[in-house]
Formats: sequence, C-alpha cells, structure tokens
Amino acid sequence: MRHVIFFLDRDRYALPLDAVREVVNAPESYSRVPHAKDAVKGVMTLRGRVVPVVDLGRLLALGLQPPGKGKVVLLELVRRELGLLVTEVEGIESIEKVGPQGRASRMVRGLARVGPLTVTVLDVEGLDAAVTASFSSEPERNR
Amino acid sequence: MAAQWDTSRYLSLFVSEATEHLDALGKELVRLEGGVTPEAIDSLFRHAHSVKGMAGSMGYDPTTALAHSVEDLFERVRSAPARFDRAVADLVLQAVDALGGHVKAANERKPFPDNTALIAQLKELTQSLRPGTTPLPSAPPANAPLLETAGGPESELPPRWLVTLRVATHSAQPGVRGFLAYKRLASLGNLFRCTPSLDEVKAGRLPGGTFAVELESTEPEAAVAKTVSQVADVELVSLTRVASAPPPPAPEETKGTEPEPRVVGQEPPRTVRVRTELLDEFLDLAGELMLATAGVREVGRSLQEELRGRLNETTDRLHGLVRGLHDKVMKARMTPVSVITDRLPRAARDIARRRGREIELILSGSEVELDRAIVDELSDPVLHLLRNAIDHGVEPPEERRMRGKPPRGTVKLSVKRASDRVLLEVEDDGRGMDVERLKALAVERGLLTAEAARDLPEREALMLSTAPGLSTAASVTDISGRGVGMDAVKKAVEAVGGTLEITSRRGLGTTFRLSLPLTVAMVNLLLVGLGDDVYGLPIAKVAGVVETTRASLAHSRDVPVLQFGASVVPARELSAVLEVPGRPHDVAAVSPFVVVDTDDGRVALAVDALLGQEEVVLKALTRPLDQVPGLAGVTVLGNGRPVFILDVARLERPNRLPAVGEA
Amino acid sequence: MSKRVLVVDDSVFMRDIIKDIFAAGGFSVVGEAGNGVEAVEKYKELKPDLVTMDLVMPYRNGIDATREILRGDAKALVVMCSALGQETMVMEAIEAGAVDFIVKPPRAEDVLAVVKKVLGES
Repeated sequence: MRHVIFFLDRDRYALPLDAVREVVNAPESYSRVPHAKDAVKGVMTLRGRVVPVVDLGRLLALGLQPPGKGKVVLLELVRRELGLLVTEVEGIESIEKVGPQGRASRMVRGLARVGPLTVTVLDVEGLDAAVTASFSSEPERNR
Repeated sequence: MAAQWDTSRYLSLFVSEATEHLDALGKELVRLEGGVTPEAIDSLFRHAHSVKGMAGSMGYDPTTALAHSVEDLFERVRSAPARFDRAVADLVLQAVDALGGHVKAANERKPFPDNTALIAQLKELTQSLRPGTTPLPSAPPANAPLLETAGGPESELPPRWLVTLRVATHSAQPGVRGFLAYKRLASLGNLFRCTPSLDEVKAGRLPGGTFAVELESTEPEAAVAKTVSQVADVELVSLTRVASAPPPPAPEETKGTEPEPRVVGQEPPRTVRVRTELLDEFLDLAGELMLATAGVREVGRSLQEELRGRLNETTDRLHGLVRGLHDKVMKARMTPVSVITDRLPRAARDIARRRGREIELILSGSEVELDRAIVDELSDPVLHLLRNAIDHGVEPPEERRMRGKPPRGTVKLSVKRASDRVLLEVEDDGRGMDVERLKALAVERGLLTAEAARDLPEREALMLSTAPGLSTAASVTDISGRGVGMDAVKKAVEAVGGTLEITSRRGLGTTFRLSLPLTVAMVNLLLVGLGDDVYGLPIAKVAGVVETTRASLAHSRDVPVLQFGASVVPARELSAVLEVPGRPHDVAAVSPFVVVDTDDGRVALAVDALLGQEEVVLKALTRPLDQVPGLAGVTVLGNGRPVFILDVARLERPNRLPAVGEA
Repeated sequence: MSKRVLVVDDSVFMRDIIKDIFAAGGFSVVGEAGNGVEAVEKYKELKPDLVTMDLVMPYRNGIDATREILRGDAKALVVMCSALGQETMVMEAIEAGAVDFIVKPPRAEDVLAVVKKVLGES
C-alpha cells in the first residue's frame, strides 16, 4: 500500500495515501477554536471550505516545538476533511509490512522499514478519534 | 395524479424547456439521416426523458404517458441501433409533434389532445424491436434503412459468436472490468444473452471469473479477439461461431438481452444545470453585496454627522434592496425533492431484484421544495435509507409469508411541509430493528457499558445504529455500500441543519424521519473581537451593548454585575467563557459589554472590540467541530477568514452531550 | 516518439503521482487540468494521445468532461481514475465512452498496463 511519508521534526511518519486528499502550505494564521485543547491549531479556509487543523506533534504528545511554518496534510474522511500540521512532506513510498512495535496509542499502527529507514505508520481512525476528543470539552479519555 | 401545489409559476419554465427539448429532438432525428451513433440515440433518449420528468412534475399525465412511450422506444433502439429506420423516425416525429401540441395546450390551459392510438403504435413498434425478432411488417425491406449497420442488409443476419471471457482475479473492480469488456464488444455489433446476466456481471458476481455473451457482428474473428485483448485484466477464453438464427424470444431471454439499465439519476438537461450554477454564483454575489454594503456603512462612521445621516439613509435603502435580491435568489434556488426521488423506483427495483425481495415503493410529496444545496446533499442519504429499508428491513417473500405478511414489502417515502421545516420519511413494513442486538453490539464494541445499555431508552438505543462502525447487518453486502453507513446519513442530514429520528417496531417495520430546514440559514451577526480573533453573536440574541470600565462594575455575592436598564446582569469575560486567551485588560479602561439572552437569563459579555454587524450564511459544523460546545455554526467572511458563530442560548453549558455511543 | 498524455485530477498531489508514473513509463505528460472545464479546453488545445480523468471534480465532473471531449473527438482515448466504491460512476463513464479505468491509489504497473493496452502497445 502506498503511503505518504512526512517529517515531524526529524522523525519520519507515514499515512496511507488513499486517506490523504492533498498537501498544502500551512496558512499564515488560523481562527482559534473555543475550548479546544493545545493540539488544536484552529481552523483554516481552503477554497471556501472550513478545515480544522491539528498540530500532529502535539496530538501524539511528542513534546516537540510546533513547526515554524510547516505543511498541512489534508485527510479525506467521509464528507469532511481534517488538516494535520507536520514539519515537511517527503514523498510517497510503498509500505506492506507494519510491525507491532511502537503502538503507544491507537493513533499508531506500528513501525515499518522503508529502505534503510524506520517510519512510524499512523492509524487514520485512531487519529480521527483522538482529534475529535481534542475538540470536545470532555476530559481526555484513556486512549 | 393532480398536482397538489400551484404549478402555475412553473408553467412558463415548463413550456420553454419542454419546447427546447422537443425542438432538439426534432432536429436530431432529422440529422440521424447522416448516421446513427449510440451517442445520438442517448441524446434523443435524454430529451424524451427530460420531457417526461418535467411533465410528471407538472402532473400532466397524458403528456407523461406519451413521452414515456417515446423514451421506451429509444431505450430499445439503443440496444438495436440497426433497427432505427425511417419508419421509426416518422413515428417518433409524429410523437414529437403531438407532444408539442400538449405543451401548447398546457400553455393555453386547454385540455390535452387524446393520443391513445399513437401511444399504442409506439408500444407496438417498441415490442417489435426486441432483439431477435424480425423487423416490423409495417417497415418492409423496400423502406431503405436510415443507416448502414455493421451487419449489412437486414435480410441477412450477420454471424453470431459465443464469446467467453475471464476477468483476472486480482482485478480491483471485476464488475466494472466485465462491464467494460461487454461495452467494447457491443461496439462491434449486437449483443445477446449475457450469462450470467449483465446485472450480475456489473455486480462482479462471475463464477470462476468468467462470463459469456453472444455477439452478432460482421467483424472478422481476429477483430473480436483484438478488441478483447485491448481490455486490461480481461482474457478471451473462447470464441466460437454459433447458429445465426436467433432463438425464439423466450421469457428467460428477456433477462439477458434486456437493454442495459440506464444510469440511475439521469442528469438534468444542460440548460438547467448552467442556470443552477449561476444561481450559486448569484447567492455568493448577493452575500458579497451585503458585505460591501456593510463596508460602506463602516466608512460612514468616520464622516461628519450631517454627511453620515445622508449616507446611512442611502445604505439602509441599499441594504434593503440587497436583502430583497438575496430573498429572490433563495426563492429561485428552491428545487422539488423529485430531483432525488425520481430515480428511486428504478434503484429500488434493482436492489430488490439483487436481494430477492419484492417491493412496492410508494412516493408522495415529491413536489415539495427545498433549497437546491440541501436537495443535493440529501441525494446519497436518501438512496442509502432506501437501500437499508430493502436490504435490511423488508424480509424475503417466503419469510414474509410465514409471518402472515403479504409477500411484497412496502417502502413509503413521503415528504411533507411542516411550517418552516420539511419532513422526509422513509418507512418500511419489514422486520424492524432489533434494539437488544444493537445494545449488545454497542457493549461488545466498547461504546457503552452494560449498565448504560440497560437504562438506555429505546429511542436512543435505535440511534446506536448511526454510531460509526455499528450496523445491524450481519454482513456487508455490495448493496449496503462499504463503510458508508447510517453514521454518514446522520452526518449528512445534520450538515444541512436537519435532524434524524428513528422509530421501529419488531416485526412491523422501521421509519426514518428527517426534519430539514427549507433554506440554508442566514443570520445577522454582531462581530466582536477577542485578541486577534473574531466571533459572531446572533443579533437576535443581543439585548444591547454597554461601554464601561471593569472597575466600575458592582458586585453581587462576589459576582461582578453590570447595570443594564433597570436591572443588573452578571458580567463575564467572553474569553473565559470560551476558554481562549484575551488581551490583558486595564480595569480602568473602557470596554464594550455585550448583553445577550441565554437560556439561563441575561449575561453581559466583556469583549475587546465591536467590529460591526454582518449578515452571513451559516454553515453547519462537521466533525470534529460539532463537538465544540457553544457553537452554532461557522461562516467565512469576505476576506476569507473563518468566523465561529456562538450559540448564545447555550453558551455556558456544553450544548452537545456526547452522542450515545461515544460516552 | 513517446505518447502524449493529459492528466486530469483536482488534486495536485494525485496529478503528481500519476505524472511520475507516466514519466517513469516513458510517456510524455503534455498537460494537466484540475477540473472538467479545463480538461475539455486542454484537450482541444493539446490533442493528446490519451487522457486520464478523475471522476469527481469541481465545475464539471469527469463523466461530463469525458462526454464533452468525445463529442469533439470521437476517437479520444479517455481512461477514468476511480476509487473503490465508485463502481457505478465508472460504469456511467464507460457508458459515456471512456475506454478503460484505473483504480486509485494508482500503482505504476497497473496504470502502465492499462494504458499500453488502450494504446494497443502490447
């Protein structure tokens, strides 16, 4: 399966290509979302649509500085879109085997090797659930 | 069927569009003398279909019946273009003229002419064009055919081939691959007897990956083989010559030689589409005009008193005009629900056939109108509800008989106007939903605790079927649509500002009730600044604005209160209510306090700045934004900035309890 | 001379992937379009040997654009790009005259196999 490979700081991550609609430059500014948790950057407009954007590094609780400018990876979900702010997008690679290591949360499917490199493969549904939780005012649940 | 609503305001549109289609039909028919192509026939079919649809929505039954016979004839001709000769053309032209007479009669509000004889002739001709039957006696060979068929003169049938094909197992969409091969072969001549049937092929049900068709073509054997070889993932298993004489038409044969079902949801005529796109632009422009008007008013504030008064007078008038324009555009956007329900009988039949069900679909109220944007959004959800009703609701005929129900199930789709909402119901008389099983599944998937499930009222338990990943279907069939389940239906309905409700009784059936707004909502907003952010407060909920210093606020039981008119209201920082950072403020500096009406009474909200009023189109929130408490929607300002509209009535409490199944 | 291809998709991202596949397969991508209207214009202007056409696009969807292209040039070779779950739409496109289809996310070997078949190169 083809995956989009991108960086969070210096580490490589992957998301399945069929879940990614497009990649755009991060906007200059976002509109803030009330009550949202830290990971939520805000909303941006893209061709008239209002798209929520989440700082993926924060969502994964990696303790990273937010990327200076960065790219927004747009996930295409059923009838809606979700933006993930990442440091940079590297390219597309085929990933077949995903090992169970690194499954710290439902957001991570596991680790995979692309050539000599190790990438963390993310789980779209897990991410979606975590993002939804970060927008709600409910106390964070155990994930 | 007599139209229950006032059709007079559509009459001129009907007359102009129907005339357009009939003119085009006439012209294209004549042009066919230059050669018959499948595209040309498709185009003729579409014109007839459009006229039928329009006449149907106007309630002109005789016109609908006549157009329908023409449409049927074209549908048959599509699968046997060789039979399109002068006799066919003459009869169709006669029908076109008759339809023209209907349009004229409608326009003059006179009774429709009687065309029973003509309709009978059309039907007879359609019957006679069944593949495998000989040409009409009324079209003797002396009548030169309008086109040279690939098969040469009609009297000599071209050779017949039995073509057996195999679709590669690794193919991503074997059904589509099979269909593609079928269509390619169809370009060589006439196809008969597809085994399994074309519907089965399209659904990808190919035993051992193979299917066979009989092809009547004058093309050499090698050309047939070459055509197949040009389709990726499809392999020619065998190609054998079979007896040319067509078998006598048998009932079974109908299935294989049936003309391909036309594509569900025929596109509306081109002119209509252009116009509706234009309507979208009108709406955008009307919205921008409103913003521009607000901009002019803003400029006026810096003018001297006397000039400002005169300018305001003009801007008020301008605003009124723009508002009027906007209302007219909204009105013009109203579209009958029939745009989506027209294709349902066909879809219902297809689904029922595939699932071995017998169904009667009863449509009512399709003439009720909604904003076109809402109608567009509802198209998929309504089809999905219909699928669900047939697929999971209505039992197979044997089971129904055993339960003492008529073998044929009924699905009713009714649309009703109820004050400022539209109610759309999909009701089946099937087996009903199993509440206990839904609860058990939800517990199993960890969406609910066993205790919570036990205490869950039935109404909410039924809504569990809309939780992502929960479905009562034991298996996912190609018909139910993978991954797009009831959760998508619920989301789509809510995205247009509607609500979904389910009622169900075991053994008796299920009803899905959609309550929808008539139009996309307009709201008048007071825009307020908080730090660098802008929020919108619906003016309807704003009682007034007081400018004062925080230091001057009185206190009542430690709560700061603001004097407002004769009463005092509690004062809150909007930034604290929304949990967003505000500007550091100087207690001695004057700040605006916006007094709003919440469900818990009046509250004064301190903001950093008042940025003016605007009238905007409210967009519904999609997940995850719909999880944020205190938001009514979002809008995009003229400068492209997204602005949240606060749900003032429920500002202080979470307005959305987590939906059942998420807790 | 390498065959000339027009790539139509509303996602720049998807266009890039498809372009790369064609480049690696020895085809020359002579143009790209992001919506159906542009696709029809580009087709008239460039007269490519083959078009890959996304199904769902703004302004004019891939099916309508295919119809329009074929109206102007009955010999046009249009290959649809579809996703799983869009079977009905692909069949509609085939009905409209598309010669074949590829499934997204596109795999290089599948795309090249389909395209070569369509162009009669294998």
